[in-house]
Amino acid sequence: MTGAVLAAEWIKVHTIRVHRVLVGVAFAFPVLVAVLVAVFTPEPRVVFGNEVIDLISGTSVVSLLLLACLWAINLTAEYAHGTIRVTYAAVPSRWRVVAAKAAIGSLVTAAVVAVTFWVAWWVSTAVLSSRGSSASLDQVRDIWATFAALIALSVVVSWFALGLGLIIRNSPATVVVTLLWPLLIENLVSLAFTLAGVDEAQRWMPYQAAITAVVDDGGGDSLGRPWGPLYFAALAAVLVGVGMVLENRRDA
Amino acid sequence: MRCMIGLDRADAGQVTFDGSPYHDLSQPITHVGVLLDAGYVHPARRAVDHLRTVAVAGGVARSRVDDVLEMVGLVSVGRSRVRRYSLGMRQRLGLAAALLGDPAVVILDEPANGLDPEGIRWIRDMLRHLASHGRTVLVSSHQLGEISLMADDLVVIGRGRLIDECPVGEFIRRHTTTRVRVRSPHIGEIVRQVRARGADADIVGDLAFSDAAVITGLAIVDVGEIAAEFGAVLHELTEVTDSLEDAFLSVTGEAAEFRSGS
Repeated sequence: MTGAVLAAEWIKVHTIRVHRVLVGVAFAFPVLVAVLVAVFTPEPRVVFGNEVIDLISGTSVVSLLLLACLWAINLTAEYAHGTIRVTYAAVPSRWRVVAAKAAIGSLVTAAVVAVTFWVAWWVSTAVLSSRGSSASLDQVRDIWATFAALIALSVVVSWFALGLGLIIRNSPATVVVTLLWPLLIENLVSLAFTLAGVDEAQRWMPYQAAITAVVDDGGGDSLGRPWGPLYFAALAAVLVGVGMVLENRRDA
Repeated sequence: MRCMIGLDRADAGQVTFDGSPYHDLSQPITHVGVLLDAGYVHPARRAVDHLRTVAVAGGVARSRVDDVLEMVGLVSVGRSRVRRYSLGMRQRLGLAAALLGDPAVVILDEPANGLDPEGIRWIRDMLRHLASHGRTVLVSSHQLGEISLMADDLVVIGRGRLIDECPVGEFIRRHTTTRVRVRSPHIGEIVRQVRARGADADIVGDLAFSDAAVITGLAIVDVGEIAAEFGAVLHELTEVTDSLEDAFLSVTGEAAEFRSGS
């Protein structure tokens, strides 16, 4: 029966056109940027593998946010259209429904990000190679740790959006918070702490801690790997937990 | 109805199906089919995909999707997105979802909403058909004319309280007065005889020229026998029964939540 709930959630995801469009954009953006940079960089011979990976990791963060919006929309549209009632009529256990949504969100996000990462790498290094570059994975320090951190972050971001959706239950509001949290809210909170005389506030902003662990090796002031992603995962788990408690108490 | 299937929390009481609360049923949509609102469907999804999500989640074979689309007459548009559906088509889709699990109990809220006359007759016949095959069909509706045509038993609720519970015919008899309408060239004599037996009789229209009266307090058989006793010719002898709506309004008058000032 759990497999059936997973299968039903998968049907819900792939039968809505806007979901497919978001996945397509999330895939295309890092690949396009990497290819464009490979095509137009003026000195391809001095482009090395670590720079390509940094570029792909950085642009993949945009893909993560797009996929987070997908999961926010996927859940909150159920409240907007009342289909959550049809879902709970078929599967009265709300825990199982939310767990299935979390599992599908994690798997799809991780798969899209992984495929995007390697396609972007393969296409961009092929272009660079044709222009005389010798960019290769050998030039990348901790490539598998970087990749693992990116996949971990992608899973956690999907939980983060799910948790917000469970609590807020409104599509526009959930998408806005999902996007503004990393882009604005954490920066404002960090700034407020800094003005109040608290040092290293930026280091303790959950999303920033996780992103920093992906795009660099954890040096400097960041929490680094694996603590950055784990710290953000703890926040996402709290959001999902609070959302689940509310979900079980609220009317559907 | 949402409380019955655990969507809303009830303040008190519980509902069981074959002795079990809804959430304890294994594969609940195979026991209870529910249509609460035809709008509970994502407009960007195809009808067939909507039904597949319900079937798969509820543990029902996907082949049932085509069966129920056939039952509700949506086969030709099953692969269209729901945003193109009229309200009546969404009602049919909602009923299809409720019937996916071939349940013994069907719960429907205002199933005739938005349907055209042909659709209203179709859903009436469909619900009667389901009931005739041994299913329990619970319908909530304010369309009392429709209810009087399709329901066997009534549960009347006003302001959250049970007002009455009985078969439709008994409810009407219990809460309205049955009258007898008579037309005769000897209407004056009939009225005198009826009044002599303690019943009420009102001449319809102009007293001097009317040939019709409405009699209260006697059965139609008694009125016919009175006319026969003195050889009166009858042009009409009809039992006049109030509608379910009349009975409903008379019994829920005090429980009406909102009413106009006039």
